[in-house]
Amino acid sequence: MLRHALARIGLAIPVLFGVLLIGFLLMQVVPTDPATVRAGPQATAEVVAAIRAELGLDAPIWMQFGKYLGRLAQGDLGVSIINNVQVTQELGATIGPTLELMFAALLWSIPTGIFLGTVAAYWRGSLLDKGIMAISVAGVSVPVFFLGLVLIWFVGFQWQLLPFIGRGGPIWSLDGIRALILPAVTLGGVLVGPVARMTRTAVVDTLSADHVRTARAKGLAEHLVVLRHALRNALIPIVTLIGLQIGFLLGGAVVTETIFSWPGVGRLAVGAILSADFPMAQGTIIVLSAGFILINLTVDLLYAVLDPRVRQT
Amino acid sequence: MSAAALDAVPEAPRRPSPMRMLMRDTGGAISLVGVILIVAAALLAPWLAPRDPFETDLMAIMQPPSADYWLGTDGQGRDILARMLYGLRVTLGMGLASLIAGGVLGALIGFLAAFYRRLDGLLMRLMDILLSFPAILFGLALAAIFGPGLTSVIIALSIATVPLMARIVRSSALVVMGLDYIEAARAIGMSDARLILRHLAPNCLSAIVVFSTLRLGQVILLGSALSFLGLGAQPPMAELGAMAAQGRNFLFIAPHISVIPSLGIFVMVLAFNLLGDALRDALDPRLRI
Repeated sequence: MLRHALARIGLAIPVLFGVLLIGFLLMQVVPTDPATVRAGPQATAEVVAAIRAELGLDAPIWMQFGKYLGRLAQGDLGVSIINNVQVTQELGATIGPTLELMFAALLWSIPTGIFLGTVAAYWRGSLLDKGIMAISVAGVSVPVFFLGLVLIWFVGFQWQLLPFIGRGGPIWSLDGIRALILPAVTLGGVLVGPVARMTRTAVVDTLSADHVRTARAKGLAEHLVVLRHALRNALIPIVTLIGLQIGFLLGGAVVTETIFSWPGVGRLAVGAILSADFPMAQGTIIVLSAGFILINLTVDLLYAVLDPRVRQT
Repeated sequence: MSAAALDAVPEAPRRPSPMRMLMRDTGGAISLVGVILIVAAALLAPWLAPRDPFETDLMAIMQPPSADYWLGTDGQGRDILARMLYGLRVTLGMGLASLIAGGVLGALIGFLAAFYRRLDGLLMRLMDILLSFPAILFGLALAAIFGPGLTSVIIALSIATVPLMARIVRSSALVVMGLDYIEAARAIGMSDARLILRHLAPNCLSAIVVFSTLRLGQVILLGSALSFLGLGAQPPMAELGAMAAQGRNFLFIAPHISVIPSLGIFVMVLAFNLLGDALRDALDPRLRI
């Protein structure tokens, strides 16, 4: 167990280092020279050189990288070029809404996907199974923005049932929940298909296992056989596969936030890249990558706790 | 492992040809026809398009579909049917370019890892590192470094495809590596390159074909999402995701401007996904990704 954990953490460290290196390089390609900007248009070459030395920009690149890591360790990601706001401050304000959206999407889509997949596996080959699998393939193929735009058009615009622009307020308020529904349905909508599909495969496998036959033979009620014996044993592969979908979820979140003007990290990242706000773009990419690596690591370690067989591999 | 190796021995000739198996499957037959039509429409765009896809007509903006404009016009009075056909080219081309670039490199790495066991650990660790990032992050990072554009998207999607292809190829090549005829080919002094090309590659072909078909759908979905965000194809270029994004501004006045390109992406990705599933069943039922 410890060895597995150490191996996984050992892999995460170079990955994280790579992310920071990319973030640093991103700042190197910035077309404007910070020293020239700070010195002003009338400055002589000597003044610019002095400022460059003062900012440490004349140091070898690896020393600059070291300094950059030092600043990061202190939580300093620089200041936005566009509005002079601290990048960390902006990130702090957007990370909550992003997590809120992702959590809400997972909260309904995973149980729905597991339910549909189990039903399809139990009655495999039936019309119901084929119907669910057709929905699932459609769900894997639909662009997130299409789903979002259709929901905005019908639910938001035509029927005027729910708001579709921005966050309505704190999550515990009614407005907050109402504003969260459409984005969460959109983001979760693209997850139901893959989860249903994976669940079906896993449950089909466990349904034909020996212990399920034994459970039936001893006269256990059918719904208990499915829930306690087939589904419970299928949950381990399902959990891992859901872990693998987190990248997919992140991609969906970036698009969903943009469509619904949801004030999250994804929308912040896209806005920063489009307006060439390099420090902000760098900060959002570092935070999204680091968050993703962390979640992946957690899922992996959790999986090893759930299933002792993983630890040996 | 040995059971899997035995399974990989070529099937008895009784099995119908993959093509026949594919056509027997309703979803497979329909999706194959769909994919052929999509590719044909993209190739023949200049001949099929009723108008110039870039020509604006300010007297006819946001027209709904009619006999004159089959799919209507967009916010600048451009013919949506013409833009769809040209957009299909760009979207499909973007998907194919990323699939080919990432797939070839990934397959090469997969073969090397399976063939030269000393390289395996290092190469696969590298692939694990690449796999630690979702494609969207490559897309964001490359757009930030090189600026938004189709090239950034293609590079990002290629990078995201490399480790997936490498894993698929490696695992199916490893099964073949354990077989006697590879040993025999080596014994008669066949060169490594020839051995990989003549004996290893053909046996991994069905896995590669199935994966590529499914991956093409995913890559198109990702690429068009990046274009929708403004990070990919730039206006006035016709690209389905970018077209859907432009129509967003007129969603409540003229929803067809957004809906038609979005539906186009949906149908295209659906066709590749269904074809991939059917190919998997026809070529090798054991390949369940």
